[in-house]
Amino acid sequence: MAEDQVQLASGTTIVTVDHVRLDYHKEREPLPVLADVSLTAARDELVAITGPSGCGKSTLLRIVAGLIKPTSGTVRVLDSEVKGPRDDISMVFQNFVLLPWRTAIENVLFGLGSRADLTEEERKAKAENALQITGLQGFESVYPGELSGGMKQRVGVARALATDPMVMLLDEPFSSLDDLTAERLRKEMYSLLINPQTSVQTVILVSHNVEEIIELADKVVVLSSRPAHVVGELKVDLPRPRNKKSDEFFEWVDRVYSLLS
Amino acid sequence: MMPANVRGGQVISLVEVTGSIGGRVDIPKLADELGADVAVLLPILDAAEMLGLVRTEKGDVHLTEMGHRFQKTSKEKLKILKERVAAIEPFRTAVELASKGKQVTPSQVAEALAEMGLKWHYQPDINESLIRTLLIHWTIYAGLLRYDGKSGKFTRA
Repeated sequence: MAEDQVQLASGTTIVTVDHVRLDYHKEREPLPVLADVSLTAARDELVAITGPSGCGKSTLLRIVAGLIKPTSGTVRVLDSEVKGPRDDISMVFQNFVLLPWRTAIENVLFGLGSRADLTEEERKAKAENALQITGLQGFESVYPGELSGGMKQRVGVARALATDPMVMLLDEPFSSLDDLTAERLRKEMYSLLINPQTSVQTVILVSHNVEEIIELADKVVVLSSRPAHVVGELKVDLPRPRNKKSDEFFEWVDRVYSLLS
Repeated sequence: MMPANVRGGQVISLVEVTGSIGGRVDIPKLADELGADVAVLLPILDAAEMLGLVRTEKGDVHLTEMGHRFQKTSKEKLKILKERVAAIEPFRTAVELASKGKQVTPSQVAEALAEMGLKWHYQPDINESLIRTLLIHWTIYAGLLRYDGKSGKFTRA
């Protein structure tokens, strides 16, 4: 965990998405993508965003990351407005986005490139620690092409963790993996991220897989089709680890589906 | 011989899922539980059987006593993997060659195994690449070998 990070009580709001609207422009006509989206993500909370395909959920995540500027509305981390990419927000992508000519540790070090406050030794130590947390100790010198899909995604997670982010954004992180690998990584992801060993204080996951959402989320935000607005928010109070075969689990899955349909 | 396309994580998932449903399950149900096609599952079952973790009998999969121990703790997983993986090819030859010399390349392992008539593919370059992938995926995790991607060489851990 970052030494200078503020200790916040569990449940403190970390991320606030406040009346975010996004319009693309097609031949000067505005094409609304996000109509009016507001949500919060609190300390020790995993918030899942879901909605119909193409509704703009990944776009919303990129707005939270500071990669896209909203047409109106704001995103704040604590009291600070997100105006562009920043070190306290990290993102894990669906297709890993690793540099194939760099080894696992070099990919993680690349993610630390913006941390001018660190010496080379400190960067290396952070990268090694992040790879260890994600179960890749011993794989530091392996190239992405020599790793399995699950391991590539672990490198993606290690790269995101290495910068000591407060906010972790996951964009469909399991959808490029085979079922068996996805299942195993999903089982580990919650405890891997929401864990005193890491700096992460809140996680926002975008997914279209409702069972995955109920397995992982503390809160589910359901978006409508485009232009997206929030059609419902559910607090998932199932105890962990969650039994995917239980009747209660299916009741929660049904609740999300009824909001989606 | 370890099947070329099986990874350690897949075997771990298979053992954990079989254990979580009582330690005995039929193959189609196991495939369903794992969300995997039976065709994908069969080589994973072969690998798990080779490692002594499961036994298949009349279409049912049973966890062995070792499989039950393997399922329970991470410490046991690594200990069992280290012992069992070292006894299976291509890992046995790779560890032996890395112990004799200071380091070993997948090409040297492939050559030594070909002399014993063991090949994963008839084309030498594909065979070598499959052996490299198997060594990376099993021996590093099991703590048997270290790998340097830049030189392409393995050394004893």
